[in-house]
Amino acid sequence: MNILLLLVPISLILLGIAIGAFVWAVRRGQFDDLDTPAIDILRDDPLPAPRVDPVDTTNDAD
Amino acid sequence: MDAALPLRKTQAAERGSCHHCGEALASDAIREGDRAFCCNGCAAAATWIREAALGDYYNLRTSPAGRVQADAADFGAWDRDVVLAEHSRAVPGGREITVLTDAMRCAACAWLIDRALRRQAGVLDAGANAVTGRIVVAWDPQRVALSTLMQRLAALGYRPWLATGEAREQAQRRERRRWLLRLGVAGLGAIQAMMFAEALYLDTAQQMPIATRDFFRWITFLVSTPVVFYAGWPFLEGMARELRGRRLGMDTLIAGSTLLAYFASLVETVRGGTHVWYDAAVMFVLLLLVARMFEQRARGIASAQIDALARARPALALRERNDGSAEQVPVGDIDVGDVLRVAAGEAVPADGVLLDRAASFDEALITGESTPVRREAGESALAGSICREASARLRVVRTGADTRLSQLTRLVEQAQSARPQLARAAERVAGGFVVALLLCAVATFAWWHANEPARALEVTLALLVVSCPCALSLAIPTALTTAHGALARIGVLGVREDALPTLARVDRVMLDKTGTLSNGRPELDSVATFEGMDAATALSIASALERGSAHPLAQAFAHVEADRTAHGVHAVAGCGVEGEVDGTHWRLGRADFAAARADDGALWLGDGTRAFARITVRETMRDGAREAVAALRDAGVSIELCSGDAPDAVERFARQVGINAFHARQSPEQKLARVREAQARGEVVAMVGDGLNDAPVLAGADVSLAMAEGAALAQRAADFVVTSPSLTRVPQAIVLARRTQRIVRQNLAWALGYNVLAIPLAATGHVTPWIAAVGMAGSSLLVTLNALRLSRRERNQRRAA
Repeated sequence: MNILLLLVPISLILLGIAIGAFVWAVRRGQFDDLDTPAIDILRDDPLPAPRVDPVDTTNDAD
Repeated sequence: MDAALPLRKTQAAERGSCHHCGEALASDAIREGDRAFCCNGCAAAATWIREAALGDYYNLRTSPAGRVQADAADFGAWDRDVVLAEHSRAVPGGREITVLTDAMRCAACAWLIDRALRRQAGVLDAGANAVTGRIVVAWDPQRVALSTLMQRLAALGYRPWLATGEAREQAQRRERRRWLLRLGVAGLGAIQAMMFAEALYLDTAQQMPIATRDFFRWITFLVSTPVVFYAGWPFLEGMARELRGRRLGMDTLIAGSTLLAYFASLVETVRGGTHVWYDAAVMFVLLLLVARMFEQRARGIASAQIDALARARPALALRERNDGSAEQVPVGDIDVGDVLRVAAGEAVPADGVLLDRAASFDEALITGESTPVRREAGESALAGSICREASARLRVVRTGADTRLSQLTRLVEQAQSARPQLARAAERVAGGFVVALLLCAVATFAWWHANEPARALEVTLALLVVSCPCALSLAIPTALTTAHGALARIGVLGVREDALPTLARVDRVMLDKTGTLSNGRPELDSVATFEGMDAATALSIASALERGSAHPLAQAFAHVEADRTAHGVHAVAGCGVEGEVDGTHWRLGRADFAAARADDGALWLGDGTRAFARITVRETMRDGAREAVAALRDAGVSIELCSGDAPDAVERFARQVGINAFHARQSPEQKLARVREAQARGEVVAMVGDGLNDAPVLAGADVSLAMAEGAALAQRAADFVVTSPSLTRVPQAIVLARRTQRIVRQNLAWALGYNVLAIPLAATGHVTPWIAAVGMAGSSLLVTLNALRLSRRERNQRRAA
């Protein structure tokens, strides 16, 4: 049963790591929006170069 | 016009619907290749989306976009330091702001907004959340103005509103995250604690060495401590609050049972007793957190959507410059002595003294008095009251914190956080229940202590845990909040929570015509002129008179060239408007009001005695009006059409949608009298309307729904605001309200039945604490899941439709 003295602390360390990872993910806002990111993977073609927006140019001229 | 209407309708069907917003196309549709658009706004939005290579939006979306408002709002004032200081915060490289929009309908909208904003130069980060209706943008003020970004949003059909301030938004976000953290800690910790507890339970033959057993107990203690004190903190805090308030509630029972199980186990661990109950304590906390999380989520979704409408307090005001022109300024910029203009249906931004002439104000939000108060010139108008019928000018006497605006914000929040009467009643019952239960527990402990001292603590613990009336107190709020969430998703926002039970009992619906059965976007049909006036002049005078009016008819004149200005304009409810243009006194409205002729349903321009022009305006039927009427009839609700319009127009509309009971030329008082009459017969009346003159009727009916395109005032008086353009939402809301009542009854029956059954079992020692924890939390969870059925079935129904 001495193996328990090793295995139980290991499980506690893993628990600590799991909680730490969860805290990190929540703080980074990973759980704030669960709907929108799912849509991103539905696009398969690569993004073309961003177009110069007419609204931008008029405003930059201001 | 009678004959023309069906013809136009078939044409519209052939023309199809707008590629962007999905609305039926009118004759002036814009065509580009094989796509067609209802207006320039939609066409421009679609062109931009295609050129920005975001065309996937049209494939990803699950519901059509909102119609793009052609008149681009002016966001220039948002660039001012006052606005930025209150509503945004500094982040590395720029500033960050949270804005609300009510037009996001699915995740694809959030995706589009995200991409569209990121394309703009100077945007550091952008994130949109379709569930809460919030958009967070971080931008570099040196490179791009906030107003440019907001213009971009508005041009795509997502008109942004200022949220209640960045600090509040941050606080809400932190609160949400903290709940998630608690749930995560409780979940991970409880699973570990259960694992160790399981090892102890499996040792049925007591073969485990004492040292190993104690080692397991101490490890379980270590793992369950953060669960009880960090994850369970909301319950401990609630208990402290309840004890300070000298009352016993749900939290006292939850926290009390948890602490009892935890400390009893600790004592047993220290002295090496036969039993520990750490597992009961952690499971209790975990399952209750899950149940409460569900409740909070349901409430959060509903209130986030309502936020966008109800909390969009006037952040900007229309200030008059010295030369008489007006400019938009933030409320914080207003100084004492400024002259402000307030349009009909809008809120007064600061306390002031009325100039020019009398006006009436709805002070319901401040005083609770629902009938408007008439103020003469020179009397004061309070910030937060709503200007009725005609626009007003006022000189500011108090600004900022001196006004009632800050109090008003609190009032709105209070109204929203006020718990429904039904839920409060259940809470009182639960409170009494807790007292009875504690007495019962003491009696049980005394009896077991006298007869079988070894099991006394265990049985009492099981009794306390199993009988916790959480399910009882969760039964009503979960059902109500889920129903509100489901309603919000189909485009019906509940402004008052109390209204849902009433909506379920409705047996008569009164409909207004303009803006309710019709789509609220009237178009000019024909102009006939007399007395040597030409059509252009007549239209110009009419548009000057209607400008600033919130009446739906005013929209018909929105596209007329504005080259004249009217003075002293005021509305005469049910008749029309009058005012001075170019020094002449004009009246515009019913024939008997404007030109002393017999009323024929057309709009007349005259001076009160002579007629100068006869203008006809046509209305188009709202989407799904006919289906809505049929669905209402199927639901066993009788329908009545009450309109201020001319008899033939009302009759034609009634026949088109299939309503037999209709009344034309109804003044607001007459409409209200009809409502009272039906109420006197014992009927529960729902009123659906949108115009300014509906406000008293909306307030007088048992329950009221306002179509969102209407005046802001009508929405304040209403119990529900329908943001969807389709009228079929009204019968759907009634059906949902009835189903909610059914679910509430099921929940109550289950919760009461469970407690009645479980308490005797526990008191006689047939339940161990961990079974008690599973049973109690399972009961709470069952009630919550039953309530969540409301939102799921609604979605299925929509997909089938």
